Amino acid sequence: MPTVVVVDVSLSMTRPVSVEGSEEYQRKHLAAHGLTMLFEHMATNYKLEFTALVVFSSLWELMVPFTRDYNTLQEALSNMDDYDKTCLESALLGVCNIVQQEWGAAIPCQVVLVTDGCLGIGRGSLRHSLATHSQRSDSNRFPLPFPFPSKLYVMCMANLEELQSTDSLDCLERLIDLNNGEGQIFTIDGPLCLKNVQSMFGKLIDLAYTPFHAVLKCGHLTSDVQVFPRPEPFIIDEEIDPIPKAINTDLEIVGFVDIADISSPPVLSRHLVLPIALNREGDEVGPGITDDTEDENSANQIAGKIPNFCVLLHGSLKVEGMVALVQLGPEWYGMLYSQADSKKKSNLMMSLFEPGPEPLPWLGKMAQLGPISDAKENPYGEDDNKSPFPLQPKNKRSYAQNVTVWIKPSGLQTDVQKILRNARKLPEKTQTFYKELNRLRKAALAFGFLELLKGVADMLERECTLLPDTAHPDAAFQLTHAAQQLKVASTGASEYAAYDHNIAPLQTDFSSSSTERM
Amino acid sequence: MCNLQSQFTMSFVWVFFTVCNFFPLSMSVSFRKKMKIFSESHKTVFVVDHCPYMAESCRQHVEFDMLVKNRTQGIIPLAPISKSLWTCSVESSMEYCRIMYDIFPFKKLVNFIVSDSGAHVLNSWTQEDQNLQELMAALAAVGPPNPRADPECCSILHGLVAAVEALCKITEYQHEARTMLMENAERVGNRGRIICITNAKSDSHVRMLEDCVQETIHEHNKLAANSDHLMQIQKCELVLIHTYPVGEDSLVSDRPKKELSPVLTSEVHSVRAGRHLATKLNLLVQQHFDLASTTITNIPMKEEQHANTSANYDVELLHHKEAHVDFLKSGDNHVGGNSREGTFKETVTLKWCTPRTNSVELHYCTGAYRISPVDVNSRPSSCLTNFLLNGRSVLLEQPRKSGSKVISHMLSSHGGEIFLHVLSSSRSILEDPPSISEGCGGRVTDYRITDFGEFMRENRLTPFLEPRYKMDGSLEIPLERAKDQLEKHTRYWPMIISQTTIFNMQAVVPLASVIVKETMTDEDVLNCQKTIYNLVDMERKNDPLPISTVGTRGKGPKRDEQYRIMWNELETLVRAHINNSDKHQRVLECLMACRSKPPEEEERKKRGRKREDKEDKSEKLGKDYESDKPWQDSERLKGLLDREKEELAEAEVIKDSPDSPEPPNKKPLITMDEMPTVEKAKGPMSLLSIWSNRINTANSRKHQEFIGRLNSVNNKAELYQHLKEENGMETTENGKAGRQ
Repeated sequence: MPTVVVVDVSLSMTRPVSVEGSEEYQRKHLAAHGLTMLFEHMATNYKLEFTALVVFSSLWELMVPFTRDYNTLQEALSNMDDYDKTCLESALLGVCNIVQQEWGAAIPCQVVLVTDGCLGIGRGSLRHSLATHSQRSDSNRFPLPFPFPSKLYVMCMANLEELQSTDSLDCLERLIDLNNGEGQIFTIDGPLCLKNVQSMFGKLIDLAYTPFHAVLKCGHLTSDVQVFPRPEPFIIDEEIDPIPKAINTDLEIVGFVDIADISSPPVLSRHLVLPIALNREGDEVGPGITDDTEDENSANQIAGKIPNFCVLLHGSLKVEGMVALVQLGPEWYGMLYSQADSKKKSNLMMSLFEPGPEPLPWLGKMAQLGPISDAKENPYGEDDNKSPFPLQPKNKRSYAQNVTVWIKPSGLQTDVQKILRNARKLPEKTQTFYKELNRLRKAALAFGFLELLKGVADMLERECTLLPDTAHPDAAFQLTHAAQQLKVASTGASEYAAYDHNIAPLQTDFSSSSTERM
Repeated sequence: MCNLQSQFTMSFVWVFFTVCNFFPLSMSVSFRKKMKIFSESHKTVFVVDHCPYMAESCRQHVEFDMLVKNRTQGIIPLAPISKSLWTCSVESSMEYCRIMYDIFPFKKLVNFIVSDSGAHVLNSWTQEDQNLQELMAALAAVGPPNPRADPECCSILHGLVAAVEALCKITEYQHEARTMLMENAERVGNRGRIICITNAKSDSHVRMLEDCVQETIHEHNKLAANSDHLMQIQKCELVLIHTYPVGEDSLVSDRPKKELSPVLTSEVHSVRAGRHLATKLNLLVQQHFDLASTTITNIPMKEEQHANTSANYDVELLHHKEAHVDFLKSGDNHVGGNSREGTFKETVTLKWCTPRTNSVELHYCTGAYRISPVDVNSRPSSCLTNFLLNGRSVLLEQPRKSGSKVISHMLSSHGGEIFLHVLSSSRSILEDPPSISEGCGGRVTDYRITDFGEFMRENRLTPFLEPRYKMDGSLEIPLERAKDQLEKHTRYWPMIISQTTIFNMQAVVPLASVIVKETMTDEDVLNCQKTIYNLVDMERKNDPLPISTVGTRGKGPKRDEQYRIMWNELETLVRAHINNSDKHQRVLECLMACRSKPPEEEERKKRGRKREDKEDKSEKLGKDYESDKPWQDSERLKGLLDREKEELAEAEVIKDSPDSPEPPNKKPLITMDEMPTVEKAKGPMSLLSIWSNRINTANSRKHQEFIGRLNSVNNKAELYQHLKEENGMETTENGKAGRQ
């Protein structure tokens, strides 16, 4: 889930902060200090996150495009100049553009807005933006809610009292509301100092940037893993089930399915499953905060040489072309599979299905999936040439069941012509002739379109008179019979117009020799 | 037959309303769209007028007697016919239902009512009643309206009253949700929509109908408040469609949606009959169910007449609009105006890509939505749907001005249902991840990949649609059985080749494959026993074992030591399963009886503590397989770091021990790689010994070998061995009890 850090570099950020004793700090220094902490945390514990840095005043500038290089981001922090006034709306518009250009509209992003709570004056100030919000047309829509799924975190270089003395806090809260409530405002607890800024950013890290650790289990085979990006809680139905569901930290494999059977299922999100080695204190070996890089390397090397279930699983999934179904919580499932980034690099990946008892109609209810050994005979066949999937739905869809639709004249004409074509090939096409005839009859009865039955009866009678001399004598009998049957049905009288009744071919002296030769 | 309409792409400004059904809940809620199962579209009641005037012609003619080629000349075609207002109404509403059922086969329900001198309710809310066949049959039973019936007795009001009644009735889904939520049952909403197709006399007539619905809802809500089986209507959308013959003036004016009360909203559509009515209902079904349209262009199809040529066709599909979410939000759309049939409608155009995808490719798909062809019976539509139903998938690409190719969707069928898959076309946030070979366990090269593949195939899943019951009569959940099986199959499962001996031996397969089973047949037990005897035989013949020599300097462990390792491992495997059944126990008994043990008890002691510890550990681990930390964790460390050294040391101990059995021969040990035939390894042999060996082997397959002979050392069997063994067992058991 990419992050955009948006830093206020207006003049108000240069307001000094009184810190006893030491040299003089400005609010922007506090901001830089907090962000340094955030970047350091990400570089060690969340290093696959893409982050971009935007600075803004009345204009905005993309200082660092999306990157995983936290040194670059760090350097950029020290290269920020001071500019004029705060103009939040244009900056948020800029964020919209940057994110959509890079990631489209579907990938969730976190926006970390760092400001001092002075929201500008006059046009372009947040107050002005909010005041005119209701009068917007589509061409100058306010950038919130962001067109992509998002969280907006506002990091205020000010404490609560300061913000409450003006209407700043209210304005910022409205900002979050405009983002459909997706986000949070952080303020500094107590006096403005490095320590308190740290604790504020610490809260942000806890909320949004703690790595998700889990245990991947397949019976007794287990592996400690980090799941990246963090799987987010999900609300199934805001009315019935308004509480967000989070995934378990035990990811339990329940069985395996061929890729062809799971067949590109829709997923909520995709995550890397990275095996980690936990040492006794529960910290990660390797990426932990160790000054001694040599130690780190050797620890990595040892971890690399210890067999890990993830690697085994990944290898076999890749070779066999299968996925592992994994239970993420009550009635919530996902799948594990090998994903190749390039020819050389591939990885264990986990996709989350939509929560619910039956996320994929073609697999059926997940709880009803059981081991093949319980089946009377192997549903995959002795030679592995069959599959129990996909499940067939009880009712066929309209396009799979030859429904009759006569809304367009062409639909009706096609059906009539089919009957006519077969009528001319009687008695060879007796079966198809009656099949089409009965289909038309049924539809006409359902639609109350009795006039059509009469019309087609007339048409068949005419066909009878047009039969060439060479025609089989049975043809005339069948045509007359069919026409007569349609005529009686067209009266609507219940004894002839029963929907389930089918017009059967007339049994003639010829029929024994002539029918069934389709 | 299929006219290719000219497509023109328009720059189209999307009116972007965010439907604000988002509430600021808590701060940590998900990013996802939220939904309501029980919205207005959960229940739709169709009320179709069946009064005498509906028998009137719609005055739109249909030529049904089309002249076909090669016809006899000089025939005057039959006069065109026309549908009645009733026929138009019924077929349009059936089309509405067809599209709805195609796209939402579940949880979106229709109740069909026709109204004349009374209300005829044609079906119920139950899921079994929700299909076109049922409705068609019921409609056929009703038949067309009788033009000679007394118009004074007939009214649409009967139907509207019945519709309100129907909306109060609980559906099985509502019932299920209420039962599940218990005390929160009030969260289950009851909303619905009434679509009424009638021929109204005037605007005031329409108002009268609205008042009637309003009144009836009020009354029935009172009734429902005191009932367990009925639900109060929270929200009802009344869609009144006034239809009249083509060429007449409408006596009723259109009116957009208006709130008549907090419960009732109403809208009025005045539509000419015939295809105009059908078009209106098609638009309504799209509005009511949030549908959108996609036109697939450039579909190559073979012409019937000219088999070698193919022409390109377009097919329009409907589906949930979420499938266009990327276009909607990014504004980067390819929405083309399509002025076919005089109706302006929005459709997204996607281009057919020659099928290149195969079923073993796993696409990153962010959504899959059922489709319904707009023109289900047209030749291009049925061509496309049949192609897909035959199991092929088609990738779809966005036509971009820049000429770059972006594949954004895929059409694919799953079990007779066609889905439009949305493929992610934006940059991946997971690009350039560290390769799995760089992480934990990435440097290990001898994983049992093939064996685990076999394991996965054995643990594939299959649906069990019939409920099964356990011994105690409770419902058995197949998925729990699957987990159970995985638990059993992994009780002893070394991950790497150098960690195991038995799984590298073909001879162990018959035992290893059945011992993990929950229950064994007598035949299984017999096979296990045979396997064990076979191993005993191998040991006696001193066959080499595939013991890993990775990382070992020198020759690796001695042959008898190899067998000891093998037997230990086999015992661990079998012990892990002894609690499954008595038969499993029998296999262990056989194993314990057969496995070669040092003949003297004292010798065991002489081997030093180290060895014993280790054996104890493996036994303990075998027994306590349900302990939190599976044995592999400790074993893999131990196994890798200590094993080789330790075993070498042990081998030394054995060799130095005066009591250790004579090594059967002094030939240098051979590693697996250069394993020659057994005979060679045994050195020069007489013809007699070869012959008697053969006979013995053949005979040993026919009977169970005497345990004494099996355990004999230099053909001397110790008597009353079991006494000693029992003593030994007791100590172990005591030991075990002490640990627990």
